[in-house]
Amino acid sequence: MKKVFNKKDMEYLISLFLSIVVALIIGGFIMMANGSSPFEGYRALIRGAFGSQYSLANTFGRTVPLILTGLAAAISFRSGIYNIGGEGQLYLGAFAAAYVGITFTSLPGPVGILLAIIAGAVVGGMYAFIPALLKVRYKIDEVITTIMLNTVAILLTDYLVNYPFAASQGKMGGTDMVEGSYRLTRLVPLSTFNTSIFMMSFIALTIYYIMQKTSAGYKFKMVGQNSSFANYGGIDAKKQMIIAMIISGGLCGIAGVFEVLGTHYRFLQNISPEYAFDGLLIALIVKSNPIGVVFMAIFFAALKTGSITMENTTSIPSELVLVIQSIIILFIAGEAGFKGMFKNFLMKRKLQQKVGEE
Amino acid sequence: MLGQVFNLSLLQNTIRTATPLILAGLGGLLTMHAGMLNIGMEGMILLGAFFGVVGSYFFASSFMGVVLAVVVGIIIGVIYGFFVIELKSDEFIIGIAINIFAGGLTIFLLRSIFGVKGAFSSPGIVSLPRISIPLLDQIPVLNTIFNNHSVFVYISWVLVVLTYIFLYKTPYGMWIRAAGEYPEALETVGVRAKRMKYISSIACGVFCGFAGAHLSLGYLTLFTENMSANRGFIALAAIIFGASNPIKTFAAALLFGFFDALGIRLQVVGIPSQFTQMIPYLMTVVILFIVAKKHMMQKKKVQKEEGAIQ
Repeated sequence: MKKVFNKKDMEYLISLFLSIVVALIIGGFIMMANGSSPFEGYRALIRGAFGSQYSLANTFGRTVPLILTGLAAAISFRSGIYNIGGEGQLYLGAFAAAYVGITFTSLPGPVGILLAIIAGAVVGGMYAFIPALLKVRYKIDEVITTIMLNTVAILLTDYLVNYPFAASQGKMGGTDMVEGSYRLTRLVPLSTFNTSIFMMSFIALTIYYIMQKTSAGYKFKMVGQNSSFANYGGIDAKKQMIIAMIISGGLCGIAGVFEVLGTHYRFLQNISPEYAFDGLLIALIVKSNPIGVVFMAIFFAALKTGSITMENTTSIPSELVLVIQSIIILFIAGEAGFKGMFKNFLMKRKLQQKVGEE
Repeated sequence: MLGQVFNLSLLQNTIRTATPLILAGLGGLLTMHAGMLNIGMEGMILLGAFFGVVGSYFFASSFMGVVLAVVVGIIIGVIYGFFVIELKSDEFIIGIAINIFAGGLTIFLLRSIFGVKGAFSSPGIVSLPRISIPLLDQIPVLNTIFNNHSVFVYISWVLVVLTYIFLYKTPYGMWIRAAGEYPEALETVGVRAKRMKYISSIACGVFCGFAGAHLSLGYLTLFTENMSANRGFIALAAIIFGASNPIKTFAAALLFGFFDALGIRLQVVGIPSQFTQMIPYLMTVVILFIVAKKHMMQKKKVQKEEGAIQ
């Protein structure tokens, strides 16, 4: 029988667990410094995330964009190219979906939905293609270009929904509502939990299959780990990077589509509370493991929805979770180094004991 | 209409908007020379801007604002150094973590210290002093462009020269460059490469602290969420454009500052603000593209010439 976890995985899981615990403890101290009880704070947070059917629904509703953006980041990281531009790709994808939803209004529901998803994926993918091409052809650092293009996309959509595509009634920084039959059904009343979770699951499973089980996924991994070695093995590293980037951008675009069709029913400026950056953190924390992305996305979603209840019942600002999240990533990034220090320390003790015995 | 855009105010604004880019650029090029690409400058600037306001507000002194911004810069510089140098963590991940940490912490503290969301401004925040240069006010054009700026404008120019001298004329500068390029060689002459990397990382924190304080205390005295607005990344582009040379990075920062100022001027003539705000970000990508393309063409030319000789 194949072992589920090898030693390295086990060590990582322990580090992850410790990182989360330490980050939560630091978060507790911050609550205390803020004059609140950490126990009450965390109790409110857990209640807000899992306490009722409504809060559970909101938590799982929020996992949809997080899993998509998390997988998007994971795919790009695995291929050795850093897509930090997910936020811009998400905005453009969301706008594309809204455009479909207000322009082509006479299609049957499922066709309209499919068209919106494809439009969002294509727009997001094309927008990611620009920095990918600049990276591969001209060796321009993709971190800088994707960050710059984020701002450009957010401002561009901001212009579009305030001028040419502004809602016909009221000035609200959004488009008109999309065609009724294109709106995704809510699964729990009042919550934002909707059928996009099924479509997202289908997309995520497909991506998982490609990444883990096919030769294409193997190629991505090879390129990410050692591009010159991959080249030697007959894999075109440049092509792989571009493909990975387009898929990554497409997934972020789809995340935007679901926000429009499932949550808001229209494009709004500031439609995303930095979902793509959360996705980035998620992918970094789980080291681009697709299954890890799902679990970490649920954890992040729970923190976010829980923090709103925490803010309402105690006086702790919900932004505390941002601090907790970044502390987790700091520890995970230092994982190997900490482990090395810890092992060194154990070795020294052992040596000292031996010297003492002799 | 052109006169409303291309006038002395444009150049005056350029001087102002370029300053945080110059300061962060100088800090970032020090870490670049020591072999570290510091993505975390964005967060360092943001923290500097926030703690500048905190210091200025609670001590009623802009000097204390700068002190606090610098202290926080040093702390983040040490943390960045500890993770990247000591623990050998991925510098990209640490940089991103610092940026997210800074974004979250400043929004959190904005609410828990000042009780506001979005932005904090108050007459209690003391702005940095403006400097008026005595003889300059006699010369009409130059006076408008160069005189009566906030103090960090002039400090940043002095720092450009000092950083240049430090890097290329002092042993420390040589060691920092060696720490990036030949760390083993450096160790053999008895200088610890690690220490040089720490120095550059802490200096970067200090410079970004200056940049942040200039943003929040230089002209307008206020802090807004994400007020650094990706300037840390534009500074990074300036460093790449300037090939990590202080003088060239200074020139690049002025150019990026110019586009920022151009955006501000274009708003005056009624172009939608979304487009005017876009200019510095779009131009950063365009300039990086032009530089890279030129670089590649030169390389091809050299290869061709070499081929012709053979």
